[in-house]
Amino acid sequence: MVTFIARRLVVSVLLLLGAAFIMYQLTALAGDPLEEFYQSRLPNKNQLIAARTEALQLNVPAPLRFFLWLGGAAKCIIPFANQCDLGLTAQGQKVTDLLPQALGSTIQLVTAATVLAIVIGITIGIVSALRQYTTFDFVMTFVSFLLYSLPSFWVGILLKEFVAIRFNDFLGDPQLGPVWIAVISIVVGLIWLGLIGGELRRRVTVFLVSALATAAVLIYFSLTDWFLHPNLGPVLMLILSAGVALVMTALMAGLKNRRAMLTAGIQVVLAMICYFALQPLLNISSIYTILILALVTIAVGLLTGFLVGGPDRGLNMRVGAFTAALSAGLILVDRFMQAWPSYLGESAINGRPIATVGSQTPNLPGDIWIHGVDSFTHLLLPTLTLMLIGFAGYTRFSRAGMLDVLNQDYIRTARAKGMPERVVIVRHAFRNSLIPIATIVASDFGALLGGAIITEQVFAFSGMGALFQRGISLPDPNPVMGYFVVIAVMVIVFNFIADMTYSALDPRVRTRG
Amino acid sequence: MKFRRIGAPIAVAAIAAMAVTGCTTTNETPSTTTGGTITVAEVNEVTSFNPNTPQGNLDMNAKLTGYTRSGFFYLDDKLNIIPDKSFGTVEKTSDDPLTVKYTLAKTATWSDGTPVTADDMMLAWAVQSGFFNDSTTDADGNVTSGTTYFDYAGDTSGLGLADKPVVGDDNTSITLTYSEPYADWQLINPIDAPAHVVADHAGVALKDVMSAMQTMPRGDAAKPAAPNDALKTFADFWNTGFDATSLPTDKTLYLSSAGMVLDSWVPKQSITLVRNPDYKGDLKPKVDKIVVRFIGDAQAQVTALQNGEVDIINPQASADTIKSLEALKNVTTLTGNQFSYDHLDISFNTKVFKDANVRKAFLMTVPRQQILDAIVTPQNPDATLDDSQLFFPGTDAYDAAIKVNGSSAYDKVDIDGAKALLAGATPEVRVLYNTKNPNRVASFQALQASAAKAGFKVIDGGAENWGSLLGSGTYDASIFGWISSGVGVAGVPQIFSTKGGGNYSGYSNAQVDSLAKQLQVTLDKKAQDDIQTQIDTLLWGDGYGVPLFVAPGVMANSNNVTGVVYYPGQAGVGWNYWEWAKK
Repeated sequence: MVTFIARRLVVSVLLLLGAAFIMYQLTALAGDPLEEFYQSRLPNKNQLIAARTEALQLNVPAPLRFFLWLGGAAKCIIPFANQCDLGLTAQGQKVTDLLPQALGSTIQLVTAATVLAIVIGITIGIVSALRQYTTFDFVMTFVSFLLYSLPSFWVGILLKEFVAIRFNDFLGDPQLGPVWIAVISIVVGLIWLGLIGGELRRRVTVFLVSALATAAVLIYFSLTDWFLHPNLGPVLMLILSAGVALVMTALMAGLKNRRAMLTAGIQVVLAMICYFALQPLLNISSIYTILILALVTIAVGLLTGFLVGGPDRGLNMRVGAFTAALSAGLILVDRFMQAWPSYLGESAINGRPIATVGSQTPNLPGDIWIHGVDSFTHLLLPTLTLMLIGFAGYTRFSRAGMLDVLNQDYIRTARAKGMPERVVIVRHAFRNSLIPIATIVASDFGALLGGAIITEQVFAFSGMGALFQRGISLPDPNPVMGYFVVIAVMVIVFNFIADMTYSALDPRVRTRG
Repeated sequence: MKFRRIGAPIAVAAIAAMAVTGCTTTNETPSTTTGGTITVAEVNEVTSFNPNTPQGNLDMNAKLTGYTRSGFFYLDDKLNIIPDKSFGTVEKTSDDPLTVKYTLAKTATWSDGTPVTADDMMLAWAVQSGFFNDSTTDADGNVTSGTTYFDYAGDTSGLGLADKPVVGDDNTSITLTYSEPYADWQLINPIDAPAHVVADHAGVALKDVMSAMQTMPRGDAAKPAAPNDALKTFADFWNTGFDATSLPTDKTLYLSSAGMVLDSWVPKQSITLVRNPDYKGDLKPKVDKIVVRFIGDAQAQVTALQNGEVDIINPQASADTIKSLEALKNVTTLTGNQFSYDHLDISFNTKVFKDANVRKAFLMTVPRQQILDAIVTPQNPDATLDDSQLFFPGTDAYDAAIKVNGSSAYDKVDIDGAKALLAGATPEVRVLYNTKNPNRVASFQALQASAAKAGFKVIDGGAENWGSLLGSGTYDASIFGWISSGVGVAGVPQIFSTKGGGNYSGYSNAQVDSLAKQLQVTLDKKAQDDIQTQIDTLLWGDGYGVPLFVAPGVMANSNNVTGVVYYPGQAGVGWNYWEWAKK
């Protein structure tokens, strides 16, 4: 094992060096950094050309210049020496100063999108696999291929037009017409029908119930100006957290498990108590308060599971923790919603909340709730863009993986033993189908920091993509190399982790020697 | 046992509860509605508070100083020099030798309360004149001997003609005496960074630097002297000390002497300027705050304007941008020219164009109107042919010049005329252009098709590395662009005189040379225009080439903002920010 790791490390370093060299040469060849001066009528343009030649060391041939760069970059390996020197940009800025800023923007931009794409993609993929060759499956296959093939700048522009500008216009007079209510209700009904499936009678019931419920909610929203003063309120809170408890119990323990039901039920009761009791505290909370509360919530969930669990403590603790975390999340959502009206009233927002550019409203006053809403309104569109495009891949992979596993002998054996379908799917099939997905998730996380060059540009998020793009257009190799180093190291590290995970997960992959 | 089991969690809970209450914040009082904030979208981010170094020489840096630094004058949208008497007065006290006195007004103050003094003007003079430099540099820009003090991105040859300034009026004025007349003297604005800040940060006494400036002789590259330590340290800070990637903790690095002062900077997102409470001058802003958001993509700027996130935009122009802007309600679109133009130049040192008739015939075939209609008209419906090599359309001098400079001969394609001049010859012409620039490609293709009708064989000499091929003699004609500041005459000999650094065409006309030389020492604007018109006429007569079109520019503002005026120069939309108001 040790030799395996050592060999991988050596290969990785050689790979990194080779790739860095090629990258540097390609960047240096990408254009002429002096081009802008050729058109200049300034009397001192020769002086400017000389200054840039010196700043970018253009008099040194690119293959040799690479080693000058490498000399500075090599200092980054010395731990804690803080001597990292990735060079200066053409504007004389340190690349090591720019990288953290760019990384920050990119992480902000892509994290939520990636997580959502993974969760939603895998869920839909698995449901598709379980409902293979049904209408739901076909529709999802169609939708995921459609989204997969959409260019991101176009999705971005469409979202800006419909989700931002039109929605903001709609907020001027938030009344849904009967046509819209009907359309939305029917679509929601169809989605539920597809998700739950079953015989005709069950389908009709599901469709009617969900469509009518949606219509009722939408009418309620329209009548009460809910879009201007959104909130969950105690009734919805109770219904939603009870729903969370049921789903969590059903997925993890099965509805027949009384102890799990009790654990989850206690969480719902606690959540309702907290919903009323914690409001004054939430009003004056800082981000750290929320963090501590989150830890306490999970601890309480675990503790309840531990105390109530009896012989099956581990399972109950999991049910408790998940239910507690999700229902506490609902309280936070409700609190954010309470901040919405005052957010809308801010002069900088002026009643048009959904933003099309940037990551925050400049100089916005207010507490964490206002700023949280502000981040939400800014991240909504780019996150949707990246998610819509990204989730298609996960859907396909998890569907295929799940189908593969469902056809294995041991699944048939498990069913033959008389195991409940829930256990067969969740415990036997789902877990094993995750192994191939883990590969993709690992490599995606590696590529995550590469940023989304086009999405960044469309939404004016100046992250890693912008750093790269600006560097390449001059061309100015130092920022490009800074970008490259981060991405390459991430990809290598995550591939390494993926390899390690396999050998830990699957004895067959383990190498000898 | 039982107690320990339950007791431990209770203790944890109690500690957590204490921690939770300890980590709370008091609510900020909700802000009272501000008197008015205007948000502007700009393409680039700020990289330095000093736009005059080669690395800081970026449009956004210059725009930021436009909001935060007063000067003796500013240029209006018609390129007139408008003096700002509340900052100081400029007075020409003698024509021969040219002597100019700059006197600061009492109201000129930096935002830390320090008055602007002659020390600040001396710093600006030392920078802009390169007076003390005695360095020799090789072709790669490396200094081989001597010292360069200030790395100035501008041209030092103009102010370099002046002797060391005489400080007077209790350290509030300087007087410059030029050794020979300098045509662009009115464009000298001797104010730059606050000298006391540079000295403080460099760790030298301002006194020492000033006395060094008073005692040191003019630098002589032939006899480099040992560098003066105080001045060198001082200059070194000026060279790089104002570069930044985020708001410096030290406020003195971004002092203001104008109506606005920098207040905050969220890297990659925006900067916020607030009203400068210490500003006592005349150009007082009407709004309380100006926010500049960095949005690179033109279409993203348009949608942000539509969505009310920004009030004024300043995107890179394209036909699509204009089209989507014009579809918006409650938005005013401003289009106009930029100070750059595409042009077709003839190479005089090639065989094919030795003959003046061939040159004229070739230029007659250039479909200038067709190129204009295809490239510029969709972006600037008012665009007309650019008929002058020296003046920019929209100025009075341009209107006067095009009537007499002989450009009308080339306004329309004249295939028959070209054929007559060629007398049956079918010359081969290789045309150099930038293959990466779609406008140049389109111009070339239109030219190729049109010239073929008269019998020219136009060979595609397009290249990606066109810039380094300029002046190499490998082509017969070239299509590229000139970018200029739009004011001043220093650029003229640069391009059109025989030994000019930008004369890639091998053009040589003794009359033009002597006129260009004369232009450099002509102080009167009217006389300058006359000389330039003469040069223009000679150029057209010689078949120097033809200007194709002036690059269009676009700005737009939401109708709840007033006072936004299109500006063709690099100061951009913020040139008259003090006139902006919010409805």
